[in-house]
Amino acid sequence: MRKHPFPEVSVAAVLLLLAPGYALAQASEEITWGLRMENFAALILFVVFSGVVMTFIRLARGGRDLYIRRIAGLNAVEEAIGRATELGKKVLYVPGIMSIDEVQTLASLAVLKHVAKHTAQYGTPLEVPNKDPLTYAAARETVKEAYLEAGRPDLFNEEVVNYVTYDQFAYTAAVSGKMVREKPAANFLVGSFYAESLLLAEAGQSTGAIQIAGTAEVAQLPFFVTTCDYTLIGEELYAASAYLSREPVMLGSIKGQDIVKFILLCWIVLGILIFTFIGNTAMRDWLLPH
Amino acid sequence: MYKKQFPLLLAFLGGAIPIISFFITTPGDRLKVTTDTLQDWMLIIAGAALLLGVVNLFQINLRKISTRAKGWPNALWLLLSLVIAATFGLADAFGTSVFGIWGGDVAFQWIQDAAFKPLQATMFSLLAFYVASAAFRAFRVRNVEAGILLAAALIIMLGVNPYAVKVLPFLPDATNWIMNIPNAAAQRGIIIGAALGAASFSLRILLGIERSYLGLQKGE
Amino acid sequence: MDMMERLMNLDRRWLYLLVGLAAVIPILAPLNLPVNVSRPVQDLFDRVESLEPGEIIMVSFDYGPSTGPENDPMGDAIILHALARDLRVVVIALYPLGGVTEAREELERCVGDLDPPNGQIASERFPDKVYGRDFIYFGYKDGGLAAMRLMSDNMHEVFPADFYGTPLDEYELGREVQGYDNVAFVMSLATGIIGEWWANLVNAQFGTPVAVGCTAVSAPKYFAYYRAGQMFALLAGLKGAAEYEFLVSQKYPQLAQITDSFIYNAGKGWDVQSVVYSIITLFIIIGNVAFIVERRRQKRGM
Repeated sequence: MRKHPFPEVSVAAVLLLLAPGYALAQASEEITWGLRMENFAALILFVVFSGVVMTFIRLARGGRDLYIRRIAGLNAVEEAIGRATELGKKVLYVPGIMSIDEVQTLASLAVLKHVAKHTAQYGTPLEVPNKDPLTYAAARETVKEAYLEAGRPDLFNEEVVNYVTYDQFAYTAAVSGKMVREKPAANFLVGSFYAESLLLAEAGQSTGAIQIAGTAEVAQLPFFVTTCDYTLIGEELYAASAYLSREPVMLGSIKGQDIVKFILLCWIVLGILIFTFIGNTAMRDWLLPH
Repeated sequence: MYKKQFPLLLAFLGGAIPIISFFITTPGDRLKVTTDTLQDWMLIIAGAALLLGVVNLFQINLRKISTRAKGWPNALWLLLSLVIAATFGLADAFGTSVFGIWGGDVAFQWIQDAAFKPLQATMFSLLAFYVASAAFRAFRVRNVEAGILLAAALIIMLGVNPYAVKVLPFLPDATNWIMNIPNAAAQRGIIIGAALGAASFSLRILLGIERSYLGLQKGE
Repeated sequence: MDMMERLMNLDRRWLYLLVGLAAVIPILAPLNLPVNVSRPVQDLFDRVESLEPGEIIMVSFDYGPSTGPENDPMGDAIILHALARDLRVVVIALYPLGGVTEAREELERCVGDLDPPNGQIASERFPDKVYGRDFIYFGYKDGGLAAMRLMSDNMHEVFPADFYGTPLDEYELGREVQGYDNVAFVMSLATGIIGEWWANLVNAQFGTPVAVGCTAVSAPKYFAYYRAGQMFALLAGLKGAAEYEFLVSQKYPQLAQITDSFIYNAGKGWDVQSVVYSIITLFIIIGNVAFIVERRRQKRGM
């Protein structure tokens, strides 16, 4: 395998730049070591959350069998690619419109890796048009590696992952145009979407493609649910890579997250009961960041 | 070894520094300033990546034009628009004129007003049409759940209709109730779940367990 | 294929044609449909009414041209209302794609043409109002959350100069606004996520009162914040804009003359939306009647 020259260079750059940067950076003389008390409640939550999740990761490493419920949208991924393969048409993958500092985009790239591996194995054409330049660069690497792992690096070219434009609606126009002209058999709309969600999904629906969507943008979910065959809702998107990889360690983190959700739920119910019957709002106020 | 560990170390540092600076202060608040520096880097890297994107755009479209692929005049038009907009934009940024005829700022503003704005508004307003067709298709009483969804949709849409409200005066209250109670409850449920999901995903990245976004596979 | 089946599988282009006609006709011939004012909108109106003359409000243009038809009238209404109440207005823009032009256009639509660097600072519409003293436009700042955080400590670091490049210190109003403490509340006209940031960060961490005017698409999400008290008022989409415009024009007839003179305003937009809503509702009902009749027939046939 070809040696990557970048990591050493980038680590050296990080250390070289960060160290003097840190030494020189000074916002205020008066500030010394201390806790940011305004974020103290968040710190406790952070510690509890990390603690529980890491415990479950450890349990999973130890071989404990963890049950995760079925996610229909993810089970349909292979069905969708299979259909595209049968029809000899392409698979279109839209990784959302946000950059890679958005966690949904990273979650989408993980799903993209899975999809790309399958399309490479079956020799099905794949296209990943991009709006954000950083996402474009990351998606290109992800797909390239997936093709390499599937043993088909020959299938990768510059057109598989391409860059369209930085403008939201120009991007929407371009991708909808592709859907209508080239009629892909499967459309994946996974990541962070805003107003373009319905424009893309309805254009895809009109071409009869099988559509799998996934987003944590609450306002866009209704549009995907009404126009797509499967929709990954909120946390299902973040769980996707763990679910698809079936790695116990990853599943452990999902389990841990569910436990924290249960703890929060208990907190909310307890807070409501105390507020309703005693009139004390301390449990709510403690969580407020003031 | 490098290929595996260094990107993961970078990801860890990039994630851990802002988190630590969110919770603790260091002498001179240096950690927070370092965090801000990291954010600036992101902007710079994005700028460089944009250049990569533009190169890709040229590669693909020049190939389309040279091979006279289907729709090649569109590719030509795309590249022309890109060059014109970029020229005017750069002229604006550097405060020079375009071909000595228009001031850069005037020319760029003209592109904004005459092309960019109406095109954006046109795309956005397509939503009205798509909402209509999606609603027409999706809201069918196929089963009990779909029936409830349909009833809620009808109440909300009629609840903002001035004439329907005259006939059925309870509609605005019903609309408010649906928006404030069941809708808000469901939204919060999804928001809390998604926030925890995002936190757990981020933790997996920090710990180096989640690595498919780096193009790495398990155990690599 | 009989009629019921044909209705159920109607070509979507017929629907598009009807929606298109419904969108154009009310703009050309306004219907002046009535609006019912809802609580979240009344909250904003009451808050503006309760402020003392001279207090400062901040209006942040956090949207681009695409959602202009929904957000523009909100911006107009709040700026006009504030100036009519003798409040002072600070305008900023945080949306990267077009917020900067939206803010300038809406401000100039409300006060009249401006050219402060060349001395044109008096408002045409409000003869006693002057740029830099009664209203000011700080311009656009990149960085969203980071900029918002910094604005609480040091407004002048985020906006060293106004939109026209004049240092803020040269204007009375510019000197006065050093952080969120100097403004009575912030009104964010938002598309997407920026309105949420105002609630999550500025309201939650600094305690500044926040109101949001959002697009109808994102309204369900914002209602959760409104209910949680993280924003004191909410204008939800065109309907919210029309309600607010209605409240303002009822109280201040001189402002009604201004908004009526606009080619497009929230009232006209609301006419369009009402008619389109009615068409969609009608089609949903027709589709379901056809669906039920068809299903009954199939059952009987079995």
